[in-house]
Amino acid sequence: MTETPVKVLVVDDAATVRLYHTSLLSEAGFHVEEAANGLEAVESALTTAYDLFVVDVNMPKMDGYSCVETLRSETVGTPAPVLMISTEDRPGDADRAYAAGANLYMVKPVSSERLVRVARMLTAGSGIPA
Amino acid sequence: MGLVRRNAPPPEETAAPPSIDTLMSQLDDPDPDCRREAALGLGGADEAVPALLSRVAGEAEPAVRDAMLTTLAAHDTAAVAEGLAVHLATDDAGLRTAAAEALATMPVAVPAIVPRLLADPDHDVRVMTAMVLADLPHPGSQTWLAQMIAEDEHPNVVTAAIDALLPSLGPEHHDLLRAAVERFPEDPFLRFTVEAALR
Amino acid sequence: MTSAATAGAGLSDAEFEKFREYFYKRTGIQFTSAKRYFVDKRIDACIRGSKFDTFTSWFAALRLSERSDLLQELINQLTVNETYFLREDYQFDSMLRTVLPEVLEARGGLNRIVGPVKILSLPCSTGEEPYSIALRLLEEWPPIDRIDVEIHGADIDSDVLSKARHASYGERSLQRVPKKWRDKYFSPVGGGRFQLDEGIRGAVTLHQVNVCDTNAMRAFRDFDVVFCRNVLIYFDELSSRRAAENLYGAMRPGGYLFLGHSESMSRISPIFTPTRLPEGIVYQRPTGANR
Repeated sequence: MTETPVKVLVVDDAATVRLYHTSLLSEAGFHVEEAANGLEAVESALTTAYDLFVVDVNMPKMDGYSCVETLRSETVGTPAPVLMISTEDRPGDADRAYAAGANLYMVKPVSSERLVRVARMLTAGSGIPA
Repeated sequence: MGLVRRNAPPPEETAAPPSIDTLMSQLDDPDPDCRREAALGLGGADEAVPALLSRVAGEAEPAVRDAMLTTLAAHDTAAVAEGLAVHLATDDAGLRTAAAEALATMPVAVPAIVPRLLADPDHDVRVMTAMVLADLPHPGSQTWLAQMIAEDEHPNVVTAAIDALLPSLGPEHHDLLRAAVERFPEDPFLRFTVEAALR
Repeated sequence: MTSAATAGAGLSDAEFEKFREYFYKRTGIQFTSAKRYFVDKRIDACIRGSKFDTFTSWFAALRLSERSDLLQELINQLTVNETYFLREDYQFDSMLRTVLPEVLEARGGLNRIVGPVKILSLPCSTGEEPYSIALRLLEEWPPIDRIDVEIHGADIDSDVLSKARHASYGERSLQRVPKKWRDKYFSPVGGGRFQLDEGIRGAVTLHQVNVCDTNAMRAFRDFDVVFCRNVLIYFDELSSRRAAENLYGAMRPGGYLFLGHSESMSRISPIFTPTRLPEGIVYQRPTGANR
């Protein structure tokens, strides 16, 4: 096989959430890397081209919205899709996510089937698994 | 040309540091860098705490807000803990996480407000409280987190507390974790987390 | 010597994971599984050197206290503290090839720059770092013939500063200095030691300062390039934040900050903008424009 796997960066300060999302997405054939806050995600995105970002909202040093804004800004400028997953279900949160540049906003808990389905949908066309 | 030595110190090196009054008036300066330096310069000045607390939420420049929080968190007092805990409920994600980080460095004053935070009707505040307790260097943190896992009615609070407790998890917590899964059988993430922790 | 379950036996997988997560969170340094043996040995040495018997009790004390002695010992064990000429010189490559040309351009170009280019080495320890910068600039950066460059070294420790002033070094410290440079800039002073040329010693300004002291750090202004390597990891959360804030204040907007090769600002403070250079990540103080 010469196809390159789809590269995902899972961004969450909670080690358990990273483990959960990583194991679900890896099992589904994605190549997954992790970052423990928004700044780390930005640093990783400067050196690696990801096909999808899965981003939490409440994180130390740099929250999810600022992270997505920076990923979209001149500093990084990634066109890759961004899925935000949050424990927050306050009114206006989804709007903030979309304003920051996210492609989809979901509230926890997200079932395994749904996460994989959405990840596939967002990365359709960027390699295997499509 | 080439390497040069700076012989005469510039004026600021020999000048006395600005007075507290000057720094406090500079907190409202239109130049963000002036505000940032004033906030940092007020480190250790008790009389500046109310002025800093009242400006944290309204400060638009992240670098200035960070400087304010760096200075405030070093005052590990009830007034600062109360003043910052208010922001755990804000809609501004940057502010609430920055407030949580600052509170997590205040092991003297934070414990007194933890019971109130654990009982906050807003589950998002309780999730942020778990984030504070994850890093708070205080022997009570584990007990409070265990209490959240055992009693909180919101699954996202329970999973946040499990994550926060993870580094200090021992065999004594296993029953607690199993009971949490039984309370929220529908939550796939909680189940996965507990199974991973028990492995 | 204790007969602790952990001592000598290495960590369990779960313990290693907990430790790895903690150390990463605390210092930004990540150990891969490939380093497992090394980490196990060093942690074991830390536990033996402490008053604790087991990994569990030692780790609990480490996590609970902001008492820095346990953490300090741990970091000493897990990092390399040696200083020598041209250490991690890929960062100096980066400075010469990419950063200084950018600095010149941002300041109006080689012909129009006003004031010196300023470089800070903090902590400078016994002087190897600021003097390495001086040597590389003199030998490998032609624009130095046309503009002024100030190099400053700063450290909290007056003992290392007086050694830095004297600038005489042994073989170990000089092992990476090319022979040609050694002949040109160093002279033997006996006892197998070599002293750096007075011209360079005299050109580098040394200061005693605590990077966490905001008032003292006010004297540092408008630096174009700052090297702050392998020190922020030693500080607790609030001190490292304050140090980062003070370094920010010492830099010109758009100025560049180099941290140690295994360090990252992502665990300390969000006030800098990470920038990718061909040689790795460097941090910039934001200019008003790219905020």
